[in-house]
Amino acid sequence: MDSKTLSRRDFLRVSALTAAGAALAACAPPAPEATEAPAVEEPAVEEPAVEEPAAEESAAEAPAPAEANVVMMHQRNELSEDEEAQFEADYPGVTIELIEGNDNEFLARIAAGSPVDLRRTQAPAVPQFLNRELMYDLTPYFETSDVLKPDDLAPANAYYMANSPTAIGEGNIYGMCKDWSPDFTMWAFTDAFEEAGVDVPDDTAALTYAEVADLAEKLSVFEGDRVARWGFAYADSWIDRIWMSLLDELGQSLYAEDYSSINLTANDDLKAMAQYFFDLASNNFVANPLNPTTSWIGDDFVRGLVGLIQYGYWFGGMAESDVTAGKVVMLPAPTWSGERLDRTITATGMFMVSKTEVPDGAWQVFEWYNGKEPAEARASSGWGVPALKSMYDMMPNETEFDQQKRRVLQGELDLETPPVQFNPFIGAEVVANTWLLYLEQALTGDMTLDDLLLTVEEEVNIAIEEGMERTEG
Amino acid sequence: MANTQQPGGKRATRRKKSTRARRRTISFYLFVAPWLLGFVLLSVAPLCIGFFTSLTNYDGFDPADSRFIGLNNYTRAFSDDRLFFSLGRTLLWGAINTPLWLIVTFCMALVLNQKGIKGRGFLRTLYYVPSIVPVVGVVWIWRIILDNNFGLLNATISIFRPGTALPFMSQYALQSLSVIALWTGLGSGMVIFLAGLQNIPEELKEAAQIDGANALQLFRHVTLPIMTPVIFFQLVLGLISAFQQLVLPMLLAPGQEGSGWNPPRSSYLYMIHAYRQLFVYQRYGYSTAALWLLFVVIMALTLLVFRTARYWVFYEVEVEVGGQP
Repeated sequence: MDSKTLSRRDFLRVSALTAAGAALAACAPPAPEATEAPAVEEPAVEEPAVEEPAAEESAAEAPAPAEANVVMMHQRNELSEDEEAQFEADYPGVTIELIEGNDNEFLARIAAGSPVDLRRTQAPAVPQFLNRELMYDLTPYFETSDVLKPDDLAPANAYYMANSPTAIGEGNIYGMCKDWSPDFTMWAFTDAFEEAGVDVPDDTAALTYAEVADLAEKLSVFEGDRVARWGFAYADSWIDRIWMSLLDELGQSLYAEDYSSINLTANDDLKAMAQYFFDLASNNFVANPLNPTTSWIGDDFVRGLVGLIQYGYWFGGMAESDVTAGKVVMLPAPTWSGERLDRTITATGMFMVSKTEVPDGAWQVFEWYNGKEPAEARASSGWGVPALKSMYDMMPNETEFDQQKRRVLQGELDLETPPVQFNPFIGAEVVANTWLLYLEQALTGDMTLDDLLLTVEEEVNIAIEEGMERTEG
Repeated sequence: MANTQQPGGKRATRRKKSTRARRRTISFYLFVAPWLLGFVLLSVAPLCIGFFTSLTNYDGFDPADSRFIGLNNYTRAFSDDRLFFSLGRTLLWGAINTPLWLIVTFCMALVLNQKGIKGRGFLRTLYYVPSIVPVVGVVWIWRIILDNNFGLLNATISIFRPGTALPFMSQYALQSLSVIALWTGLGSGMVIFLAGLQNIPEELKEAAQIDGANALQLFRHVTLPIMTPVIFFQLVLGLISAFQQLVLPMLLAPGQEGSGWNPPRSSYLYMIHAYRQLFVYQRYGYSTAALWLLFVVIMALTLLVFRTARYWVFYEVEVEVGGQP
């Protein structure tokens, strides 16, 4: 028999080649993918054809009519195991299977033919999900529910209502937020103001963005090259949402009317806004790509490393720490042009996936999560404005800080700012992510701000074009 | 009788041999079947799907919405400046990190292979510990050390030069990454070198010492040549690993999940570019094409290293082409 002993050289060669072969693994797609078109499902815009709930069978009055295992892609910290067990005890026959995952895992499950039934999302993703027919029309369920009534829905829920992916704000109901906040309010750390010798602004009057920049400069503390305290902090990963809101004050839009392109270079107002945020970064008044924060800006604030931060009412739930307790004041949203607006740009919520096979069971979970005990617990926690107007009174109002927050919040709610329309052809992160990617080059002087805007515009427009091509052929 | 029985006996013997061979064959395939099945289902099939994906404009939503676009994703890659920039950073990263890792781990193994060192076992364990720390923990430890404004390293430097804020997390991110990767890879590299060093026959060393070789000559003419196959193996592994680096720079980057993690330009490696194309821009087809191109680059470099092996890798038993000693 012809045999050959494996030499050491052979072994090492084979091992090295195997390792090289392993490099191939990187070329595999990241998610399981169906090679066939998925089974034909009801389009999102159609009403549920089966198991349409009758008014008298509302979950508020009777337990689940049929057995169902509802797969929910959500965050465990927003639905405790105790709450889940309570639901299963109250609704015999319906079980919850909670999976933690992001949008990529959500899409991978759809592509693999095993979609979840309920999914956590945020307002900017809604138009794209609607465009791709991933959202179940819940209007008939809302019309018959005793728990979730359309009239009781807080204004932020308009993000989940649409007549089409490019007409968000009213129409059929495809989901709702779990809670929300007018996101442009600010929080002042009074120690920082005191140390800078600056008065804390009046919480009954809105600052202008120019005044915010002035405060950012005064509150910033430098020790040599080191930033000891950032004067201001805002969510730069929401930069496009901020621009959209500021442009809305001027009656302008970030996108073309049909959302087929973004306009960054031909709009002087937008350029001025970009210059504003660029200047904040280049002066190190805010954390930026050249001088990033190790953690995140909210954490920096509660550690006393930020003087003024722009976050919604929800931030009040965590703004006070050992360092900042008793030294935090909520301020109204600043204005760019004098026209006051304060809208939510997140509206984190939930929708039912159009491909669900257990719409009735999923609705029971949806209704319970958004209208019953979990919703009440969220409302009283102070981590956001309730999604139902009838729960507004549950927001904490005991301490002086609670009352101050409520006072400012009420002023913002009175503005009744309508939702802003996000682009249905691109992912929610595309614009901000591209901006941040190239911002570093602009800050180092390798690129002018005009070039930065042009580059972002070109890249985003390519992404929009690709999105349109896929959905419109 | 003997003559008439002989052919039958031969036939019986042949039949026995044939049955034995068949059994051996069946046993062989039964033994390799689990691995083979796993390899086909978990490696070959995804690779084929991945390659097919790279020929489409699939975006992660409904596969029915995607269409075949031939080699467009591959041609697009050649006009993607950002891709070439990331490839350049990756080559630089590989050129810095791989030799650094090889030299340091080899030196550590040499030191910890000395018999006279007290607490040798403890030290070996100690140096291996970073390899078993979860990568997220590793990154948080190093963030605390390297933070531009509040990090321990800058705080230490500030004792001598107050107000120092060297940008370890931004402009020096690649250098920081090298140090972190070296720290985490120290144990695994060292263990393999130690295994190689312990396999060096004592008689060779003794013979060299009898011939009057000093420690340096012993290392230069005995240890190093015998270790070259292990160095070669580690080099190939190190290069591949360098090109596939993703998690460390992603986690070290500022930002939060949801904002796509934005690594600084300095550590914008190839895999990050591919990741962003996939998960930020939803270009599954293009990203997969970029990964296949990376495979080609890795394969080319690996073959290049193999070609050079004949000039510097030595084996105890020389094997000629054809497998005959």
